[in-house]
Amino acid sequence: MKKHHMRRAFFVTLVIALILCCFLAPYAWIVASSFKNQLTLFNDVTPLSWKAFLPVGGTIENYQSLFKRTNVLTALANTAIVAGGQVALTLLLCSMAAYSLTRVSFPGAKIVFVLILLTFLLPIEALMVPLYQVVSGLGLSNTLLGVMIPWVASPFGLFLLKQAFEELPVELEDAARIDGAGHVRIFFSIVLPNVKVPMLTLGLITFLFSWNSFLWPLVIVQDPANQVIQVAIAQQGSPTQLPNWGETFAGATVATLPLILLFLLLQKYFTQGMTTSGIKG
Amino acid sequence: MSVSNTPSQASAKTKSKTRKPATRRQKRDWMFAAGFLAPFMILLLVFQYVPLLLMARNSVYDYSLLNPAAAKFVGLRNFTDMIEYDDASVSFGVTFLFALGVVLFVIPSAFSLALFLNSKLPARGLVRTMIMLPVVTSSVVVATMWSFLLDPSNGLINGVLNVAGIGNQPFLTSTSQALPALIAMTLWQQVGFGAILFLAGLQGLPAELTEAARIDGATRRQVLWNVTIPLLSRTTLFVVVIMTVFSLQAFAPAFLMTQGGPQESTNLIVYHIYNTAFIMQQAGYASALSVVLLLVVLGISMAQMALLRSRWNY
Repeated sequence: MKKHHMRRAFFVTLVIALILCCFLAPYAWIVASSFKNQLTLFNDVTPLSWKAFLPVGGTIENYQSLFKRTNVLTALANTAIVAGGQVALTLLLCSMAAYSLTRVSFPGAKIVFVLILLTFLLPIEALMVPLYQVVSGLGLSNTLLGVMIPWVASPFGLFLLKQAFEELPVELEDAARIDGAGHVRIFFSIVLPNVKVPMLTLGLITFLFSWNSFLWPLVIVQDPANQVIQVAIAQQGSPTQLPNWGETFAGATVATLPLILLFLLLQKYFTQGMTTSGIKG
Repeated sequence: MSVSNTPSQASAKTKSKTRKPATRRQKRDWMFAAGFLAPFMILLLVFQYVPLLLMARNSVYDYSLLNPAAAKFVGLRNFTDMIEYDDASVSFGVTFLFALGVVLFVIPSAFSLALFLNSKLPARGLVRTMIMLPVVTSSVVVATMWSFLLDPSNGLINGVLNVAGIGNQPFLTSTSQALPALIAMTLWQQVGFGAILFLAGLQGLPAELTEAARIDGATRRQVLWNVTIPLLSRTTLFVVVIMTVFSLQAFAPAFLMTQGGPQESTNLIVYHIYNTAFIMQQAGYASALSVVLLLVVLGISMAQMALLRSRWNY
């Protein structure tokens, strides 16, 4: 029995170590290498040494030249604005729509709901070309608003909140209604304060989706002053054009770190949102 | 994703409570609903339905995005071109192969990981966090990271292979290795997401069922194959569809790592559409390609809904 336990413990430890290596090593290599010059970086890989995963002989030159030479800092600020704006607008529009669909009776509610439901199945990537025409037709190409506005009426967000609103007992609102409170007041002072967790979940998923989006901003923004971070680091260097590896890695680190920190802090809500939705940005 | 009829339930509730002042109150409700729904619905129509119609219309025109006014009606020629020239069939073929590879590898790996995470484990939270890191990392960073990991001369993966006594591999510059390399990368990126979905499914299973089977004398392996896996068939279908739809829409790997090459061996369809519309300026043909992609994805989603709706359930 004891032997069996030992073997299992050994096996389990081995698998865990293997998983950690597979998932952590690439990050460790990228971050460590972002603090190295090209020569040190290559020497640590061939032949492979443990130094490849630690910033041995570190320098912050890569970060300095990255910030000086490229528009990464501007792009970070732009991304923060886009992601923040997209979260705020998505939460507002989706919660208002969800309230109307769950608390108010009006003719045509079914049709409205079906119209929203159908868009849930539309693959975003397939609509890129016509969407480009619509958004630039509205004069929004090369603007931050143009980057975020197509996604704020999110069918996923509506479903998530609609479900939460349905689970909220209507009795909560009865007292206020008898007192003569209108829909607007019930919405803001009773319903919204009681759906904080679903709102937080939706906010996080939206932030993740917005922060990581690439194809759409690549298409709609050409002006470097209004570029977002994913496009900025994608255009900063690729292996085919004799890049500075350390600088590229510094860019990748800067673009990823805010999101990883957010994820580590609020992992529970992220995971919840992803499992309920099955949608990933 | 459940389609419930709650609007009518809710309306029944409000109706019974607001019967007295009847029409005035109702009209005010309608006005309110219209006002509260309008922003959402207007944006939905402008940014989802208008592009959809525009795409259908554009697919029968020959035009460029630089000068859309000079569009020429060509009927179904864009679609017949797709059959006549083999760029479309090559690109769709590569994309299906990619999706197939991703699904075939993600499903068993994610399921095994979920089983592992569902057992008594030291550092379970740590492992779960680790496998989710690539899921929250952007596809641009993952693609950048992997193009350097896979570098033929100085990449980390070749460094590890060298330790194992294997010589340097070309990976992304080889027609036979490029697509498998992209599949491996996507597996790494998505397996955590699949595992979390399977884990949620596993934790939702009634424990009595597996316990009962164990008491009846079934071995662990028998319980896994005859109880757990069949019970999770809905979750599995869900993960298969999500991974397929995700893979069909992959763009960053082709754009950043291979530029569709070598010899179109990684020319994923969304990248092909992007190139056709924005680089080669053949927006009409790109629209026709988009229509086909849209129909494929819709078909898969509808098949999933039909399967889930049927009482194909244990």
